[in-house]
Amino acid sequence: MELARAMNRNEEDAAVVLTPEHVPIRLNPAGLGTRFWATLLDAFIVMLVVTVLGGALMAVLPGAISASVMMVFAFVLKWGYDMYFEVRRQGQTPGKRLCGLRVVDRRGLPITFQQAFVRNIVRVLDFAPVFYGLGALVALCDRYGRRLGDIAAETLVVQERAARRDLETLSQERRFNSLREPRVLRRVRRLIGLEEREFLLALCARADRLKPEARFDLMEDVGSHYGRLLGIEEAGLSAENLVRGLLAVLYSESL
Amino acid sequence: MDIESFVRERRPRWGRLEQLLDEAERVPDRSFDPNKIQELVRSYRQACSDLNHARSLTADPVLLERLNLLTGRGYRYVYRNTRRQGLREALIALFFREIPQTFRQESLRVGVAAGAMVLGAVFGFVTVLVNPHHARDLIPAVFFAESPKQRVERIEKGEERITGVEEAASFSTMLFTHNIKVSFLAFSLGALTLVGGAWILFYNGVLLGAVAAQYFQDGVGTFFVAWVGPHGALELPAIIFSGAAGLRAGQALLMPGHRSIASSLRQALPRVRPMLLGTAAILVLAGLIEGSFSQFSAKTIPYSFKIAVAAALFILLLAYLFVGRGTWSSRAR
Repeated sequence: MELARAMNRNEEDAAVVLTPEHVPIRLNPAGLGTRFWATLLDAFIVMLVVTVLGGALMAVLPGAISASVMMVFAFVLKWGYDMYFEVRRQGQTPGKRLCGLRVVDRRGLPITFQQAFVRNIVRVLDFAPVFYGLGALVALCDRYGRRLGDIAAETLVVQERAARRDLETLSQERRFNSLREPRVLRRVRRLIGLEEREFLLALCARADRLKPEARFDLMEDVGSHYGRLLGIEEAGLSAENLVRGLLAVLYSESL
Repeated sequence: MDIESFVRERRPRWGRLEQLLDEAERVPDRSFDPNKIQELVRSYRQACSDLNHARSLTADPVLLERLNLLTGRGYRYVYRNTRRQGLREALIALFFREIPQTFRQESLRVGVAAGAMVLGAVFGFVTVLVNPHHARDLIPAVFFAESPKQRVERIEKGEERITGVEEAASFSTMLFTHNIKVSFLAFSLGALTLVGGAWILFYNGVLLGAVAAQYFQDGVGTFFVAWVGPHGALELPAIIFSGAAGLRAGQALLMPGHRSIASSLRQALPRVRPMLLGTAAILVLAGLIEGSFSQFSAKTIPYSFKIAVAAALFILLLAYLFVGRGTWSSRAR
C-alpha cells in the first residue's frame, strides 16, 4: 500500500472514493487542455447538427413558423445536448468520449439528472466573459479542476487514460537507448528478478521527494551496482539516468 | 503469491468483467439477463479484492490504473441509482405536482427574491421622481434617444409594429430564448455567491422602476403599464423564481450548516430542477405574449383591456403556484 501511495506523483490531485467494499478508488481529475478539446468537439457536433437538421426543417416547414422552429431547435439542442448524453451515456458526451473524459459524481457514481441539469445551466456563467474564461480560471485554482458548474452540482470530470503517461514520465525512456543492445538486454532479463524490478520502480517513484544529497547517493549506489552487474561502461551517463533507463527496459512490455 | 502469477491467474476474470460491463451499459436494464447481473456483481467484488491485493504486490502504475478504472466502472454500475420514470408521467408530475409544490415549499426564498426586486424598483422609481437627472446615472444611454412622450406618440401614430404571424413568432422566440438565458444567469450567480443573485434582481428592479418613473413623469404612465404589463406579469415573477432557485442552491453550497456540502446539495438540487423548469415554461409563455399581444397599440386594443389581461395573468400564475393542497413535505414524507 505504501508503495502504491509513493507511486502516485499526483496523489494530492486525485480524489479518492472508498467503496462499500472498503476499496479506495482513485478518480483522476481531467486537465484543462483535454476538456478544452472535448468542448470544442461537442460545440462542432452541435453546430453541424443544427446546420444540417435545421436546414432540412427550414425546407420542410411552412415559412411562417420555420424561423422560430429553427431557433427553438437550436436552443434546445444547445442546452439539452450535454444533459442528455451526461445522463444517458454514463457521463460521456461524444466529445468527452473521444477525449477519454467522463463526468462523475463526487462519490464516483453516475451523475443524476438533477446534477447534469445544474452543471449545464451554470455553464452560462462559466462561459463568461469569452469562451469559458471564468470557468477555466476557476478550474485552474480548484484542487480537482472543477469549473463553477461542477462545484455547484458536486460533480467531477475525470480522465480515464492517465497511467501510461505516469510510467513514461518515471522512466524517461526517450533520453536513453544504450541499454537497448541485445547483449545487455539479455543480461537484464536474466539477472534482474521481480523483487528488484519493484524496488527500482519504487525508487524512481519516490526520487522527487528525497533530499538532493540522499537522492544522489542512493542513485549512485544503485546505479554503480547495476552498472557492474550488467557490464555497462559509458562515460557521461549519470547513475540516475541508468536506473531510469533500466526501469524503462524492464517495463517495456507494459508500456 | 508473486505478481506475475497473480496477473496470469486473474487476467481472464478482469476481461470477463469488462465484457459484462460493456454489455450492461449497452442493453437496457429490463432486457439484461438476471444471471449476468449476478455474475457481474460477483466479478466486481472479486475485482475489488484483486485491486487491494495488487496494491500490496506491485507499484506498476499501468496494472494498478487498469484495475482502478475497471473497479471504478463496476462501482458506478453496481451502486448507481436506477429509478426511472416514463417521459409522459414525468411531465405530468412535473407540471401538476412538482413545480407548484416546490414553489409553495420555497415561498420564503421566493419572498426574499421578490423583496430584492421590489426594493430595487421602489428605489429606482423614487430616485427618478425626486430628481429626474438621476435617471441618466441609473439607465443605460440607449434609452435616451427620445423622451417617453415622443416614443408613445410615434408608436400610437405609426403602423403596428408586429404585422404578421411570422414576425410575431420569430420575435417571441428571440425574446424567450434570451430571457431563459438571463434567468439561468440569475440562478448561477445566486447559486455560487448568494449576494450576486440578490444583486441582479435588485439591479433589474432599479432599471424597471427608473424607466417607469420617467414615463409617469411625462404623463404617459398608463401606456407604460399597458405595454409592459401583459408579459411583465409573467416575466418578472419568472426571473424572481430563478433567483429564488439560485438562493436555494447557494444556501446549500455556501451555508450547509452541520452537514457536508455534498449531502446538503443532494437535498437542494431536486428542488432546484422543478423551479428552473417552471421558470423556463413561464418565460416561453411570457415571450409569446410579449412578441404579439404586448406590442399592439391603443388603436387595436384599448389600454384598459391590456391591463385587465395583465392582472388576470398574474392572478392565474399565483393561483397555479401558491393556491393548492398541502405541500411537498406534508404529502410525500
